[in-house]
Amino acid sequence: MTDTVVNNRLDIREWVRPSVAISISAVAVAGLLGLVLIFAIGVSVPDALSAFVDGTLGSPYAIAASINRSIAFALVGIGFVIANRANLVNVGGEGQIAVGGIAATAVALYGGAADLPAGLPFLVPLLAAMIAGMIWGAIPGVLKIKVGTNEVISTLLLSFIAVWLLYWCVQSPALLRKPMTSSATLPESLEIPDSTKLPLLTGDYSFPVNIGLPATIIIAIVAGVLLSKTLLGVQLRAVGFNPVAASRAGISYARMVVLALGIAGALGGLAGGFMLLGDQYLLKDGFSSGYGFDGLVAGLLARGSVVGVIAAALLFGFLRSGGINMEMVAGVPTALVMVIQGLIVVTLAGAAYFIGRRS
Amino acid sequence: MTWELFAVFIGSSVRLAVPLLLAGTGELVSERAGVLNMSIEGMMLTGAFGSAVGAWATGNPTLGLLIGIVGVLPVALLQALLSNTLRANQIVTGIGINILVLGATTLAYREIFGARSREQIPGLAKWNPPLLGDIPIFGEAVFQQVWLLYVGIIIIVLTALVLRYTALGIAIHAAGAEPRAVDKSGVSVTRIRYIGVLFAGFMSALAGAFLSIGDIHTFTEGMTRGAGYLAIAAVIFGKWTLSGTVFACLLFGAATALQFQLPTLGVNVPNAFLIMLPYLLALLAVGGLAGRQTAPRALGEAYVRR
Amino acid sequence: MRDPAQTLTEPLLALQGVTKRFGSLVALSKASLDILPGEVHCILGENGAGKSTLCNLIFGVHVPDKGEMRLRGEIYRPTGPSDALASGIAMVHQHFSLVHDMTVVDNVILGQQRGLVNTRAWAQRLERLANDYGFALDPYAKIDDLSVGERQRVEIVKCLIREPRLFVLDEPTAVLLPDEIASLLAICGRVAAGGAAVVLVTHKLAEIKKAANRVTVLRGGRVVARSSDPAGEIDALVRAMIQGDVKALDRSAASTLGVGEPGRVRIGDPPGETPTPEAVQIDGLTVIDSQGVTRLDHFTLAIGPGEIVGVAGVEGNGQSELAAVLSGMLEPSRGRVFLGDLETTHLGPKEITAAGIGVVPEDRHAVGCIVEMSVAENIFLNRLDGFTSFGFLRRKELVHAARDLMARFDVRAAGPDIAFSALSGGNQQKAVLAREITLPNLTFLLAAQPTRGLDVGAVAAVYGHIRAACQRDAAVLLISSELDELMAVADRIVVLYRGRIMGNCAADPRERERIGAMMAGQAQ
Repeated sequence: MTDTVVNNRLDIREWVRPSVAISISAVAVAGLLGLVLIFAIGVSVPDALSAFVDGTLGSPYAIAASINRSIAFALVGIGFVIANRANLVNVGGEGQIAVGGIAATAVALYGGAADLPAGLPFLVPLLAAMIAGMIWGAIPGVLKIKVGTNEVISTLLLSFIAVWLLYWCVQSPALLRKPMTSSATLPESLEIPDSTKLPLLTGDYSFPVNIGLPATIIIAIVAGVLLSKTLLGVQLRAVGFNPVAASRAGISYARMVVLALGIAGALGGLAGGFMLLGDQYLLKDGFSSGYGFDGLVAGLLARGSVVGVIAAALLFGFLRSGGINMEMVAGVPTALVMVIQGLIVVTLAGAAYFIGRRS
Repeated sequence: MTWELFAVFIGSSVRLAVPLLLAGTGELVSERAGVLNMSIEGMMLTGAFGSAVGAWATGNPTLGLLIGIVGVLPVALLQALLSNTLRANQIVTGIGINILVLGATTLAYREIFGARSREQIPGLAKWNPPLLGDIPIFGEAVFQQVWLLYVGIIIIVLTALVLRYTALGIAIHAAGAEPRAVDKSGVSVTRIRYIGVLFAGFMSALAGAFLSIGDIHTFTEGMTRGAGYLAIAAVIFGKWTLSGTVFACLLFGAATALQFQLPTLGVNVPNAFLIMLPYLLALLAVGGLAGRQTAPRALGEAYVRR
Repeated sequence: MRDPAQTLTEPLLALQGVTKRFGSLVALSKASLDILPGEVHCILGENGAGKSTLCNLIFGVHVPDKGEMRLRGEIYRPTGPSDALASGIAMVHQHFSLVHDMTVVDNVILGQQRGLVNTRAWAQRLERLANDYGFALDPYAKIDDLSVGERQRVEIVKCLIREPRLFVLDEPTAVLLPDEIASLLAICGRVAAGGAAVVLVTHKLAEIKKAANRVTVLRGGRVVARSSDPAGEIDALVRAMIQGDVKALDRSAASTLGVGEPGRVRIGDPPGETPTPEAVQIDGLTVIDSQGVTRLDHFTLAIGPGEIVGVAGVEGNGQSELAAVLSGMLEPSRGRVFLGDLETTHLGPKEITAAGIGVVPEDRHAVGCIVEMSVAENIFLNRLDGFTSFGFLRRKELVHAARDLMARFDVRAAGPDIAFSALSGGNQQKAVLAREITLPNLTFLLAAQPTRGLDVGAVAAVYGHIRAACQRDAAVLLISSELDELMAVADRIVVLYRGRIMGNCAADPRERERIGAMMAGQAQ
């Protein structure tokens, strides 16, 4: 085995470079294949591309929408990376977003948050969202340490359950559905009060980026520092590599697992909170809209680096906006974006073999 | 509850369990050989799509079924290649394939049928078994099922026999528990695991085909809706035995059937809860009702000769 | 000098200039040797000399980088075990490759046929073969339920049922009882008498003396000596193996090679007549596993400060459970453990370490270290909070302290930031020892199989550190399946068999036979 220097710094060093090259190549290959597919379904590639660019950068509103989306992806991705440091795979981002959205809606509409003083109207629902997500993440953690349940299955099943839970909440007037004035009343919640909506950075609704952006950047920095410079980061790594040896060395496996998955869940819940309080303003079926999976793919693409998550999240945020516009204007189904994401993940999975590193 | 309703309930449970039984059996063999196939969901969806389009294009549902099987082959090969030859992380591989397949089938479906089509597709016929079908009350409701179920039962029994009484069965057991033993005995671990994955692919194709052309005679985007993950949960719940897996699948099928049955009994449970029930049950199953550490020792790890 | 008569027999297997590299490590360099049919040919060398690599090349697990192999004169280039098996070569590996939850007969059937399996027929064949060679084997027993010696017999039967022309055994006696060793050597003799060639890899000279027709000595990956009269040339062979005189070796280290009389070198005063308060008291420790099997049965022992107590016994007789309980990794079913006045029975690993108990675990890679992390991180793995302020790790301090310890304990590596996996086995073990022995309040050191797989130099270093711990008045419990080791290092020995202490005696060479009998389950 060649001497590998083990380093814990945040900046890109020798051993990260091959990883970054792999990630970029995977995206490039997938993107190219996407173009081929566009051609294959008979749409003019220049048309599609111009629709794509329009959708991503065409207007300040479009850019803002992409950024808001990226916030959610980034949070889920950061949670994934933190849990993955302990060799845990959190696939339940979608569900954690959902329960976060439920909690935020409930507290914003009926929890009396609206009447709280300065700042609290939106902070309290956000906190509720985080707590809900944290519980949704901690449950698989507890199952893992008590029974040995594979967290991939448990987070996934909980995700399905959460999505149906949300459906239930918006279907039932006893829960979160808005009062039914007629049988045609839509299954969705009331719109949250203005005071609970997240303040915008510019205050201008034509560029509606909310305070979620600076918050996420701060969270990313904290996560990065946590992983590379703190004792907790080393402990997570130890447990990830060898739980038995870590345990013998006095590091509590149980604590690390529940903590890691709890943090991942909390960040997922927070993403849901931002989505509700900063973007959608009401809860309806399909709230999570696949954002959990985008975040998951961003986490995978990042290969353990928080900076990588931010980059990937931005990429996917803009990719989604572009995709939506491509469908509206050029007739390219948004499913194409999913194909590209799938190709990226599959390429990454296979590429690990060639750089001699476990993914 | 009347006997008629009970019979209908049993019949629905079986019908809804079929895709799980088929996919679960395939996944069991694959996991016994050491490969965790998270991509079962994607393979089922490919099978559902392939057989639906095949049946629609040829007008013949059986041909459609064959086309569905052929269509899953490249996906299964991809999974096998990634997990065995390229030694990729099996969970990441599975997730990637599932996303890829979901996107690809949705895309292809939109292109072929348009966005909102609910085109009726020629479906597989039901079969009424000679003696069983004539039992009063129960006969028709329970035993008159799509013939694919009976073929499935035969395959499941054959699988049990192979696992127990053949050299291949021994090799599969060994490949998942102690692949070194397989290698040092001169048997190719890769070959065994490829067989496991391809079998899982074949069974997923049947499962998916049942969903589209067997049951509702149409294709909808993402129609597997987590059935593949339920199959994985069934294998865990069944502690990696075939009989345990079959039992778990029937249980999940019954839970799904409740969704349709309880309203007819006048029991007023929110629909969403009933839809959630199989997943909840699966979670309880993997979260406590199954024991610890009964998984094949080498499950999920690629084998490297040392 | 080669006996002219022997050159007339064509070698069964001939290696010529074979070289094998793993990354930057040259495991085998320009090795040439030949194996004649009908002989028992021993490959002698200490740990790390390249013996296992040689076996793996013969069996097709690896492919040589240079050189060639010839089987019965034809070029032999196996790409995998199936090629070797097809060519009539069968191998018993050092680490058994048996499927634990399968029966003996199913394990044997694996790889021998295709299609439908007639288990009964195979079981009968198995039993006949075993009887032929003079031992009993239950074909329907599960591997899980067999002792280590019995499992090895399964491996042997798995090979012999193929009627191989070349039978290779890689360090087979390390896990056996003394009389099991004798039967094994007898089996080898019989196989050779039947016309096949037997290659026996070992580092034990006693076996060479008893069984070998010819010997090839490896050192540092090279063939350094050959002999057609091993019993007569044993001293020359040893000199070749360790490149030095036996007498210059640390006598305890030499003893693990089974050379001559194991001498005990004890620095410090032997335990005096005045009763010292016991440092460690183990009282009725019992472990019953999840299947209801009693793995440890009322283990009772007291160890005084500065005393080394050895636990003898073949692997699998409760040693792992004993170590696991004492290191805080396993809850006992019954019994208590005291460190002075402190009861440590139910303490977790963190508290055990805080109490001053150092543990060198038997499976270094599974429990003792995390190979993917750096040397510095491993050396302080159980004391990282000492380098933490406000949650942040003081890395520079950690690395500095690690460099210090590495120098003191002769842990050779390019630096403290290197991945632990880059270190040799000996250096890894020294690092683990460094970690455990430098516990500020060390009162009890538990070392399980501490010299397994290490070369003589590293072995000597380990013994040195253990004795140093004694000098600081730590109580030492040394668990080892190498009786020679215990004889050389321990003050007294208790013997474990099926979880029970069979007996208790001084580590005196005159007690050897008695101890051997106890290891085999005969109460004294």
